[in-house]
Amino acid sequence: MYMFKYICKRIGLMIMTFTIIFVTCFVLIKLLPVDYSVGFGEDTAKIENMLKSRGYDKPIPEQFILYMRRIFLDGDFGIGFRMPEYRGQPVWSVFIEKLPPTILINIYSSLLAVPVGIALGIFAALKKNKWQDHLISTAVMVVISVPSFVYATLLLYIVCFKMSALPLNIASFADVIKAYPEKNLVYIPGTFNWSLYFNSKMFLSMLPAVFSMAFGSIAGYARFTRAELTEVLTSEFMLLARTKGLTKSQATVRHALRNSMVPIFPSIIGEFISVLSGSLVIENIFSIPGVGGLYLAAINAKDYDFFMMLSGFYLLVSLVASLVIDLSYGVIDPRIRMGAK
Amino acid sequence: MNTKKRILAMLLAATMLLPLAACSKDPVDNPDNPDTPGNEVVDVLTDGKDYTYNTYTATSPSNWNELTYQDNNDTQIMSYIGSSFYNYDFKFDENGEILPGEFVMEFDAATALEDVSADYVGTKWNVPEDAKGYAYKITLREDLMWDDGTPIKAEDFVWTMQQQLDPLFQNYRADSFYAGATIIVNAQEYVMQGQNVEAVDNSQTGKYALADLVKGDDGVYTQPDGKAIYFALNDPLAWCSGKTVTQYSSYMDADAFAALQELADEKGRVAVTDETIALVTKLIDTEDWGNEPPENVPYYMVYAFTYPEVDFADVGIFVGDTDYELVIVLAKSLPLLKDDGSLSYQAAYNMASLPLVHREKFEASKIAPSEGTTLWTSNYNSSVETTASWGPYKLESFQSGKQYVLVRNENWYGYKMEENKGLYQADRIVCDTIKEWNAAWLKFLAGEIDGIGIDVSVADDYKGSDRAYFTPDDYVQSLQLQSNVEQLKARETDGVNKSILGYADFRKAISLSINRNDFATKTTTSSLEGFGLFNSMHYYDVENGGVYRNTDEAKQVLCDIYNVNPADYESLDVAVDAITGIDLAAAKELYTSAYNAALEAGDIKATDKVVLTFGTSTINEVVQRRYDYLATALKDAVVGTPLEGRLEMELKDFSDAWANDFRAGAYDVCMGGWTGAAWDPGYFLLAYLSPGYMYSKAWDTAGTQMTFTMKGVGENGEDITETMGLLDWYNCLNGAADAKYDWSATALEQSQRLQLIAALEKEVLKAYYTVPLYNNFSASLLSYKVDYVTYEYNTFMSYGGVKYMTFNFDDEGWTAEVAKYNGELNYK
Repeated sequence: MYMFKYICKRIGLMIMTFTIIFVTCFVLIKLLPVDYSVGFGEDTAKIENMLKSRGYDKPIPEQFILYMRRIFLDGDFGIGFRMPEYRGQPVWSVFIEKLPPTILINIYSSLLAVPVGIALGIFAALKKNKWQDHLISTAVMVVISVPSFVYATLLLYIVCFKMSALPLNIASFADVIKAYPEKNLVYIPGTFNWSLYFNSKMFLSMLPAVFSMAFGSIAGYARFTRAELTEVLTSEFMLLARTKGLTKSQATVRHALRNSMVPIFPSIIGEFISVLSGSLVIENIFSIPGVGGLYLAAINAKDYDFFMMLSGFYLLVSLVASLVIDLSYGVIDPRIRMGAK
Repeated sequence: MNTKKRILAMLLAATMLLPLAACSKDPVDNPDNPDTPGNEVVDVLTDGKDYTYNTYTATSPSNWNELTYQDNNDTQIMSYIGSSFYNYDFKFDENGEILPGEFVMEFDAATALEDVSADYVGTKWNVPEDAKGYAYKITLREDLMWDDGTPIKAEDFVWTMQQQLDPLFQNYRADSFYAGATIIVNAQEYVMQGQNVEAVDNSQTGKYALADLVKGDDGVYTQPDGKAIYFALNDPLAWCSGKTVTQYSSYMDADAFAALQELADEKGRVAVTDETIALVTKLIDTEDWGNEPPENVPYYMVYAFTYPEVDFADVGIFVGDTDYELVIVLAKSLPLLKDDGSLSYQAAYNMASLPLVHREKFEASKIAPSEGTTLWTSNYNSSVETTASWGPYKLESFQSGKQYVLVRNENWYGYKMEENKGLYQADRIVCDTIKEWNAAWLKFLAGEIDGIGIDVSVADDYKGSDRAYFTPDDYVQSLQLQSNVEQLKARETDGVNKSILGYADFRKAISLSINRNDFATKTTTSSLEGFGLFNSMHYYDVENGGVYRNTDEAKQVLCDIYNVNPADYESLDVAVDAITGIDLAAAKELYTSAYNAALEAGDIKATDKVVLTFGTSTINEVVQRRYDYLATALKDAVVGTPLEGRLEMELKDFSDAWANDFRAGAYDVCMGGWTGAAWDPGYFLLAYLSPGYMYSKAWDTAGTQMTFTMKGVGENGEDITETMGLLDWYNCLNGAADAKYDWSATALEQSQRLQLIAALEKEVLKAYYTVPLYNNFSASLLSYKVDYVTYEYNTFMSYGGVKYMTFNFDDEGWTAEVAKYNGELNYK
């Protein structure tokens, strides 16, 4: 019951926070003037009329009400009008089309990074102060100090270019369709076709980006796990576990690991949530048509509809993520009960 | 619990292995498989091999709709899927060799062009008597069709123009048919119908005299239809040469101006009443303002206006006597034909084609306005499904932000033309979107793309490659210096001076502090030093190959501006070649004189530092290098002057708003220039003289007087000497409606206009708000796989494009060739 009340309260607060930030974003972006440069032989009056026809001359509160009505009544998040790549395109369709490659690459990266990182951390903790621990810790420090775009560049140059072991950039749908003529694959813009993503050509072409993103995460998890597990392994309850007859591996798996996971597990959830935002640099290096950088570009271009849709989306995702992470503590460690007095 | 864990582990493993499992069934690409996209097209070449041209773009196009395209990203697909009525082509000698710099005009989708102006004299189209170039009949080929086989007739162009000008859409390209050189009768009226305009300049339209106005019960005058009319204090007025009353108020009656300001609304508009009429009468009746008489009072009014409805039948485009005859009637003469009846260069320049959309697909692509808006939009030509082609290639696939693929359009009329035999060798064009130049560079070296621009980081190694070629363009990169002295002063802080930039000597000193050749060499890949507003790409007389920069008038301008006396040299050419842009001795003198003048005027203190803010849209390696160069050059140039150790620069990022911010006076120095109208430098001067375009927006080009003698332009060939504002001279040069003289291209020989173009260029340069730095050249590498027909840039045909491109390898051969070098080609 405590938990139920707690969740209801958090959801209520979440809605309130969302509304305040969303309205603030709308007002702030609308307060910025649209910079429209007029080239030779262009009619300023026609451009002004176009902006008027979009309703941009109306009072901001009226624009907000109309914007909300369009979303709730028509599911219409608007049309891009400033960014060269997305002019005249429905913002929701663009976002939905660009989200899958970003998510996939991040999920693959997490699927690689989480087990490898945790395993290395456990190994290092169990071999604390031995040469294996020193080796892993040193490697972790080196890897964690280097930003992911450096790995991306190195992978691109060495693995993809010099060794020709992997493609230089992610495959296009046309490449995939050409590679599998027997599958009769079809690409329809604005829709999601799993078959275009889940095939070896696409997967192999994603690997350089996946590795680039995974290296940093592996190092992060390894360091975090080692630190947590080392601390837990020296706890008194571990001594108790051993004295009551458990083997070292039994005590480690049943008690030490579970306790050390309390702070680690929420960070894994956090990482899965953050996959939605993508990485601008990695996506640019490997020519991934994802959402990385879309938000920043929308702000720079003052593309109202893109900015508002992305603001709302990421705001919602981060609020839900924080709630899920908080709740996850209770799942992992039964001693933690949210909302209990 | 253990079972659950096992299931979870299995699921995780399965997710990871799913794509790998597919690896084991990886099919081998079969280039002969007819189902493989790209292999089913009809190859007009007889060798039966596949030729793919692989290219890349940094920004994916959003649409390639002729009615709405906005930039070069959008036109990249348009150029492959559309056709032209007439085209430029290389001119070949009797041996089949290309004649450098020359061109011929050829009919393409049209078979004839006829000036039919005489047929429409005395009709509703208001074509002047004995006029030429007002109405044209274009005869289309009868085998034009869309890629789906739908025939194309003249009525399709008429229907498309109606969509283009549809006021509900406010299409981005609608103004191409009323705001530029091509002005179709009633096109603007059709686009603007129903639109309310808040303030039309009465001095420009001359619509109302005081007697025409109607006085209401409240004592306020209105237009006869009851719409509002005002005196305008803050609206630009043609009567004030594009400036506002407020800007000229210091020349007018101060009391009357103050009283009008009291009565003005937030936009500076004052209701017309007997009281305000008296005030404006008093306002303009001062000696400084030329004691204007009361009858001039209406010239200070603006009025609200609603464009009336227009029937499309009154727009100057319609079907002629047959289904394949298209008639277009213009409001302003456009010389598409030469005196001998052959096509002039303007035919392909101003009306290469008219917009054309596939009727059925366009109707299906219309999107109604959402709630609260009135704007109709369209997603025509934004995906494969919504795209139609009547050009040599058609779109096979498009993935936004990733790749598009074009293949031959077997229904294109051009493949049946004898003159195209052996051309268009590329069967397939694949364009990848690659944002990072480094990634594109590796793909180029790996043989995956067939051309790339040379980045400054590898320029030293690859500029000398035999696969390198250099392309000039009409862009002159210039240092722009702030013209708004009030804003300069407003941004000064204790001990920091900026307003010295308002002194012409100081700006000239900056210009003479920079060695243009050294700057171009050290900060660009392949650009060359630039000294004037125009470069070798600007033609003042296209028909006769007249390059402006090659004329004596233009050369003399440079000598005058850069302190080079031709008398000291063997010839004018040698004198021009001696210009470097830098003259440190003169610069030091000018810094000193500007400083002393500012000190005397109290504009600078003896302890002040001069800090110039250099603004940019982004700070990257290239910008940093240019900024560093300029900062060092200026710092070195003031050594030995009172400003030694007191002149600094600072670099700031102004993002996308950099240009507008500069015009608003938000910072002091930027680099910028203009491109466009390269074949009409007289018109191009607009960029440097009109406040609507100028970087130096605060420079009063209307008020800056120039006395000049136009030689041999009088009625009897006599000289005309005048003193006018620069903007007035510009208006004469371009035959503006309210100009004192018509010295436009249709009224004067190009050689006569040349003298005024040069005079205006000199005036702009002499103000030193725009300091030219370099003429833009881009360096590129072309893959061993393909060759252009020429590597000497032709301004009309470039390098011949895909049309003339030849392949040294087919796709299969190229793959084998690249493999021979282990996937790494050497272009050094």
